[in-house]
Amino acid sequence: MAATTRLLTSSVSEYLPTYSGSFDPRQKVYKGFLTPDSAPILLKHRFKKGYRHATLDTTLTKARVAGEARALLKCLRAGVNVPGVRMVDASEGLLGIEWIDGQSVKKLLPSGAQEEEEGDTPQVADVELSLESFNISIGEEVLVANVKIVIEYGVDDLMQLIGTELAKMHLADIIHGDLTTSNMMLRRTSAEDAGPELVLIDFGLSYHSTLIEDKAVDLYVLERAFASTHPDSEPMFTSVLAAYAKRMGKEWPVLRRRLDDGEMSIFSGRIMVLMAMVISSS
Amino acid sequence: MESLHYPQFDPEHSHVHVALFRGVTNAAALKSRIIAASTAEGEFGEKEREAVNFAFIDARLITSKLHLETATFQAILAESQGGLRTRTVHSEILYNLNPTHNITEAIRRYGVSENNTDVLVVRIGSQDLVPSVVEERMKEVVSGNLVPLSELQDVTDWSSVKKYYKLNNDPAVKEASKDLKKERVIVDNIVVSSVAMKSVMQ
Repeated sequence: MAATTRLLTSSVSEYLPTYSGSFDPRQKVYKGFLTPDSAPILLKHRFKKGYRHATLDTTLTKARVAGEARALLKCLRAGVNVPGVRMVDASEGLLGIEWIDGQSVKKLLPSGAQEEEEGDTPQVADVELSLESFNISIGEEVLVANVKIVIEYGVDDLMQLIGTELAKMHLADIIHGDLTTSNMMLRRTSAEDAGPELVLIDFGLSYHSTLIEDKAVDLYVLERAFASTHPDSEPMFTSVLAAYAKRMGKEWPVLRRRLDDGEMSIFSGRIMVLMAMVISSS
Repeated sequence: MESLHYPQFDPEHSHVHVALFRGVTNAAALKSRIIAASTAEGEFGEKEREAVNFAFIDARLITSKLHLETATFQAILAESQGGLRTRTVHSEILYNLNPTHNITEAIRRYGVSENNTDVLVVRIGSQDLVPSVVEERMKEVVSGNLVPLSELQDVTDWSSVKKYYKLNNDPAVKEASKDLKKERVIVDNIVVSSVAMKSVMQ
């Protein structure tokens, strides 16, 4: 039995509830340990696809694992908060990254679809667990607790963290490719006086680009995600953009124009390309 | 000396023993002994190779225990898949630690050198290898004080690490330069990540 298989079978729970917001049928996610008493890591397994020619499958899988790892390292060097890389086995399609002990932004913000979701994922237990790690007393109702945590930091502060982190990433010419509130996590920092830290996750669809248009599309995708997951998201997204603009500096005016006049005409083309990418990578 | 167990690997290379020696006085002799052993012939050669069958690492360039563990893990992984780039799993650790693909450079920089006083010794072996025996063998070849691995934090030479990994111009490191503790956490994370993804680096 290959080392990778054994690592995965020894790993705990597949399809982690914390990450279930970004359920992805092309890969499985595990919480694993390299040695019995080391820190946990998140294992992303791009398993073999039987419907694809074996050689093509290996090549594609290798390239995607490598691409994701490289994007993460590039972000780390640029000072963007992302999980560090912990192990890579490209031939088996396995990427091990730092375990982020936090809560996804999607669950921290009021969501219109909260009830429907709770039916199919064990969210309650998970939320309690995460809140404990934030040292916050757990309210009787999960939703109340969620709002509480946001009130503590303030929705506006959270939005600013998001904007700043995205700008840092775009200044390094990395396009995330799948920006949603479930691909962002909030965690407490180890330093006592410092506030929480926003961590961007899931760089599976990311790529390198210097084009203003690609950055604008990244933001546009996030805007759509906000609008579809969180009711009354407009003021939230406005404050994301404000912090983003501040950090981007002189690149911002051009980008702003692109974002304003492009919404439908230019982007529809780019969105099609994005969708095609998603479909082809499945 | 600390011992680690990687249950996902085959028993013949699932156990790792790590020790930090300080005040090492025989670094130069050790280096020549390793070189001589690699080409020695006959029964004597076999014996010598077994005596120095360890990875000897310049401890100044290691930022954390996780850093060394990551390089070791990736080395065993390469061996288990028949994908070693160097001759032994121990030299593979040195290769993994170096940011470039140049093996000679990796050994020169990360291996034990003449004026080394702080040396990390790693042995990858089977489950039958008794830790106390390994420790004895380490002490036989290295003349120095065996200290707890936690002392590594007093040994790390952060400016050399930053130089070799070309981190001085990176925004992440520049931003944190006022806060020494934070800077070290960031440098460590970048270095560990680089080692982990060495196999897919361009």
